[in-house]
Amino acid sequence: MRPLGHTATTLLVLVYLGAALAVLQGFFGAGLPVRLNASLVAQVSGMAAGYGAAVMLISMSRAPWLERGVGAHRLARWHASGAPLVIILTTAHAGAAIVAWAQAKSIGLLSATDDVLSLPGLITASIGTVILLLIGVASLRVVRRRISYERWHLLHLLTYLAVGLGFAHQLAGPDLVGRRWLQVAWALLYCYAFALVLRWRVLQPAFQLWRHRLRVEDVRQESKDVTSVLMSGQHLDELRAEPGQFFRWRFLTRETWRSAYPFSLSAPPTPRRLRITIKANGDGTRRLFDITSGTLVFAEGPYGVLTRRRRRRPRVLLIAGGVGITPMRSLFEAIDLPGKDVTLVYRASREQDLVLRHELDEIAERSGSRVVYLVGPTSDAANDMSAHALNRIVGDLSAHDVYLCASPRLASRVRDSLMDDGFPRHQLHEERFTF
Amino acid sequence: MSDAALDYRRRIPRIVRPSVTASPPLIRWTLRIVTLTLFGVATAIGVNLGIGAPEISPTSVVHHDHVASP
Repeated sequence: MRPLGHTATTLLVLVYLGAALAVLQGFFGAGLPVRLNASLVAQVSGMAAGYGAAVMLISMSRAPWLERGVGAHRLARWHASGAPLVIILTTAHAGAAIVAWAQAKSIGLLSATDDVLSLPGLITASIGTVILLLIGVASLRVVRRRISYERWHLLHLLTYLAVGLGFAHQLAGPDLVGRRWLQVAWALLYCYAFALVLRWRVLQPAFQLWRHRLRVEDVRQESKDVTSVLMSGQHLDELRAEPGQFFRWRFLTRETWRSAYPFSLSAPPTPRRLRITIKANGDGTRRLFDITSGTLVFAEGPYGVLTRRRRRRPRVLLIAGGVGITPMRSLFEAIDLPGKDVTLVYRASREQDLVLRHELDEIAERSGSRVVYLVGPTSDAANDMSAHALNRIVGDLSAHDVYLCASPRLASRVRDSLMDDGFPRHQLHEERFTF
Repeated sequence: MSDAALDYRRRIPRIVRPSVTASPPLIRWTLRIVTLTLFGVATAIGVNLGIGAPEISPTSVVHHDHVASP
């Protein structure tokens, strides 16, 4: 993971500052003295959850300044750690509010729940909370493993509805009510969050569909589990896509239009063509093997910071594991260095898992760069991917920028070894994908 | 969404399809104006919602000592 840049740092400071203000408003919103009771818990957790939900929406809006300044992977990581917190805070808010109501009215919890649900905006807010809870449960690792990516993705889209349903209740909450400027600021926060989502997740891909008219030109089976999709379109140079970047692709057929999949370009983009290479990873990706020529493609992107522009050192080491070869294949061809200064290390469990091998060999032969295949069990010393072993392969490792794309386990092993060996963090560039 | 609908371009004769030629600068400026308009509308909606929000919370029972706030 690269160090936090200027944009990411500024953004984090602003997010924490906003969170502190929201929590303080929750503390002091009801006036002084502050008393630790269920009501206070409800107010503080409510303010924090409301603020957090807006931040989560913004973090996944795909706004280019966010994607470039922070990075798609880091944003996804922030979202993955922040979203459960928002769900917990929302649930705590609902529970504490019912307890507080019961205490204030000296009634039982069931009657309090009944009372609360009859208040304006509370039915919709409760439905929103239930939807959020369902999404939270579906995202638990143990449940997530049992449902397809497509179903999970579809369920995840309901988040927008859930957040929208809670909005009216938030504006009328006792922390904001009577403070007009706060109510305006809160409403603006939500309107801007939804505007960002609309602009970059709906309008931009729709515009790209119209402008570039991207269609599948050819589908080529690379192996039993891997296929390449060649797409052609117009004015693709206007996308400013770079080797190493990825798009979220939605293939508009009856079976596949519901899901957008993140796949890297597996060849340098041209003004007329883009190519991706897909490994079957469940029913959804397997269905992509059956798409036919002429299929329209809805593409969001380009995203990702794994580009040759990140290079600072005179030599480059590209490390790929399995289907992580796709961005590396693209970079391997496009990296702007003499061939002798570029090495690609490609790890796979079996010979047949080496994707695009003939292309890699051809690029290596043409440019004079080197490709090293590490095939077989991890226990084999010849497949060691520690910093020490990599240093042995390339010579002076510290003179290299290292680009890494592999399975989470392999990537973490290589990263940890490099960091333990004192390899400068800013010279390691990574892209991580998990469904 | 049906395949037929997605594949409409193949079925409609070229002469009927709208033909728009736009230069990259024109496209960029159009997108900027779309973005500005969208955020202008978002600002107007946000301010309106904030100003029109309730002045008394329907979820507070008693202030200060026994505030309950679902």
